[in-house]
Amino acid sequence: MPRLRPATSSARQIAIDFEGHSVPAIEGEPVACSLLAAGHAVFSRSVKYHRPRGPFCFAAACSHCLMRVDGVPNLYTCRVPARAGMRLERQNAYPSAEHDVFRSIDWMFPRGLDHHEMFAGVPVAQSVMAKVARHLAGLGLLPEKAAPPAVPAEVVSTDVAILGAGAAGLAAASALASKRVPFLLCEQESFLGGRLAISATEPGAPEIPQAGALPEDALRLSSPAIGLYQDASARFAAVVCRTPAGARLLVVYAKRFLIAVGGHPRLLPFENNDLPGIFAGRAASYLVRRCAVLPGKKVAVVGEGPELYPLAALLQQAGASLSALIDLGGSPPPDAPAGSFQGTVLKAHGRTAVSGLSFEMPAGKNKVSCDAVIVSAPPAASYELARQAGARVLFRGDRGGFTVEADVNGRSLASDVFVAGEMLGPMSAAEAAESGRRAAEAIAREVG
Amino acid sequence: MSKVLVCPCEDVTDDDVRVAIDKGYRDIESVKRYTGFGTGICQGKSCLSAVAQMLFKSSKVPEAGILPFTPRPPLYPTEISLLASEKADSLQAPADGASANISFGAPALRSEEPIPERAKVVIIGGGIMGLALAHNLGVRKETDVVVLEKGYLCAGASGRNGGGVRMQWGTPTNIELAKRSIELMKSFAREMGINIWLRQGGYLFLAKSRETAERLESNAALHHQHGVHTQVLTPDAAREVVPQLTMKGIRLCAFHRDDGVIFPWPFLWGYAQSCARRGIRVETFTQVTGFEISDGRIRRVRTDRGDIRCDTVVLAAGAWSAELAKMASVELPNQPRRHEILSTEPLKPFLGPLVTVLDTGLYFSQSMRGEIVGGMGDPQERPGLKMGSTLRFLSRFANALLEQMPILGRVKVLRQWAGCYDVTPDNSPILGRTPGLLNLLQMSGFVGHGFMMAPAVAERMAEWMVHEHEDDLFTRFNLSRFAEGRLIQEHMIIG
Repeated sequence: MPRLRPATSSARQIAIDFEGHSVPAIEGEPVACSLLAAGHAVFSRSVKYHRPRGPFCFAAACSHCLMRVDGVPNLYTCRVPARAGMRLERQNAYPSAEHDVFRSIDWMFPRGLDHHEMFAGVPVAQSVMAKVARHLAGLGLLPEKAAPPAVPAEVVSTDVAILGAGAAGLAAASALASKRVPFLLCEQESFLGGRLAISATEPGAPEIPQAGALPEDALRLSSPAIGLYQDASARFAAVVCRTPAGARLLVVYAKRFLIAVGGHPRLLPFENNDLPGIFAGRAASYLVRRCAVLPGKKVAVVGEGPELYPLAALLQQAGASLSALIDLGGSPPPDAPAGSFQGTVLKAHGRTAVSGLSFEMPAGKNKVSCDAVIVSAPPAASYELARQAGARVLFRGDRGGFTVEADVNGRSLASDVFVAGEMLGPMSAAEAAESGRRAAEAIAREVG
Repeated sequence: MSKVLVCPCEDVTDDDVRVAIDKGYRDIESVKRYTGFGTGICQGKSCLSAVAQMLFKSSKVPEAGILPFTPRPPLYPTEISLLASEKADSLQAPADGASANISFGAPALRSEEPIPERAKVVIIGGGIMGLALAHNLGVRKETDVVVLEKGYLCAGASGRNGGGVRMQWGTPTNIELAKRSIELMKSFAREMGINIWLRQGGYLFLAKSRETAERLESNAALHHQHGVHTQVLTPDAAREVVPQLTMKGIRLCAFHRDDGVIFPWPFLWGYAQSCARRGIRVETFTQVTGFEISDGRIRRVRTDRGDIRCDTVVLAAGAWSAELAKMASVELPNQPRRHEILSTEPLKPFLGPLVTVLDTGLYFSQSMRGEIVGGMGDPQERPGLKMGSTLRFLSRFANALLEQMPILGRVKVLRQWAGCYDVTPDNSPILGRTPGLLNLLQMSGFVGHGFMMAPAVAERMAEWMVHEHEDDLFTRFNLSRFAEGRLIQEHMIIG
């Protein structure tokens, strides 16, 4: 996929080693982006059927972009910054990920492979299958080398730990800062804003503050929380801080925790929904807005929710042609672009990358050709940290999935744990910011 | 080939989910275990809501019964070397023993069918013990049996263990039971029609102290008397079995090549399906609330779905046994003890045996799927029915693992969880009739190794129950031994 503009003068052009081939890259960009820009679509082969896979979520929430990087297996190439000379290898394929003979498993078992009952108790077949299965199992080989000695973990105590610097987390941070309540804001990405920085701009979305506007030492970027644990005295967040020098474990004790980590990109159920060239909506806008790479020249956009039409507009502005827009939620508005339909998606076409999309609309079935399918739907709440801390999570059919139960201020069933933003269900960025602000004000009253 | 992927990490399709729902796995924890969705690299981030939607649309589960599966930290794959960083190791165990809001299922998941009013045998606990016993009773034509399970199948320790099976034990009874169990495991798929993926890669015990080394040597002599050919090896010789081991501080090793690992969950499904075929009811999401006792016998078992009149009650509730026995005014010496375990990203096969350092309780093996699955006991742990996860465990395990296998430093942990050992004062089980309450049969106290013993123990117990054969298993291991001071000490406990 072409880059949208030449690299700026400050960007350093480098070369990375992709299975022995030199691939141009821009230093520091996600290396998955470098490979896409160089025209590579197949990043991995799936674990069982060896189906081809390419980056889908750009959020470390799937497994499509995993590669062996500098001798370390299973790294998210959407998270690994490009470095001159780095070695990338695809895994789980023979003889190559482009042409993997084990893809035949996918064809041999069109209705799927039932590992529970297949050859169960058939004398020779069973033991042969066990041997074959063991050798086919697993992704990647042992790391080449032992790890360098780990830097000792860092322990921090603060009044409020905010996890996630999207619309909700940032609004909470600025509310706490204005009241001079000490806090630490941990963000998984290397930049602030979450959806504000990566999704198609929604009308009424708040501005992203400059990192410098936050109190000194109150921000850790590239620092995802991995758990909310307890020790003998208190609750703490375990955070992995990734710096250019390496990773370090950060243990954050706080009087209150505000979890605002948003949600995970959702998969939509249609045939071949895992083909390379199918991207989550926010992955597509991330590629355009942050990496200046177009996910496809001719795109089909499918989904529902407030980001659907702005996303199509963003892709069109960036130079993509829209082969279809399928609105799963209802009739397209009058100002929808040409080629917009209400409908359902049936099937993506293509052997190792998307080449077309079939869908059904009130007027009947239709098929369009495209080189990317963009799936834009409100994300699924990332309830894990809240639930680990004792929050209750409920399924709400009318709100499209799981939501974390909280009172009007965002307080969960665990009294020291608050939640804000999309963890409470689908909402606009402005609403997310408002929920973050409300939670911060309630917290400030308690810890002040 | 066209497929609709629900969980791309594990290649689970919408058909797979539908098959599971049709087979009766309607709660998300069970659908997860049966299909494998949500067990891959992303740990459910991209697939959970899709499965929840499918269940919702199937109309087979009320909205209140759709619960997310218990999240397994860490939220993102985390390198073992990072977890081994020093200060985290100084974390103290949680004051409350790491409780967690582990869900065994919402009341909405309970069957609406009435519970049987009467059954000859009521088995409390739908873990491996209870289900294996019910199956074995069924095989012996005793099908007037009801199994009561308070959660989903695999909710307790039977679904939470590392799947190790070994003949290297310290008492003749355990050696013989394990031998028989492994024999039964070999024919399990043929008999039950479900794969359990037994892989006999061996067990490699490592000893650090002189005392532990001597125990390995004397055990090996005992094993030989029972036809179990355990080899005692120097650390250098054992490195030929697992070349990646450093053998730091290790004096002596013991290796038995026919020990191995299995995949625990299909055992429960296999036994449960066999019960269903024979007309034995396995009632999940059904909780025992008490007993009606008169004249030294249990007359009725009370549940949250009604009472069951019965002749015999079997208590096979693992770590919950003491709590349940109390409802019948029976004191069991069993204590639940939380044990944590973790699983890593799947790698191509490189590790044959399960490796364990007997002195520290560290153990790890490679599953059929390629994951490193391992755990380690914690001397700070206090008794209690707790199943939360701690960073302290990750850190202690990571340090102990990297001491022996530093090449795993950059391998990433995908998930951690905990289960409870059912610990008795002598590490031996409690079996047979309850003194003073003769129609209450005990089948608990297996201290972390019940899974591998169950096939053999259940076979003997069913034989003893149906044919009333004399079997010293049920007298020697009787509850009365604690009052009478006849302890049967087992030292070969891992974890």
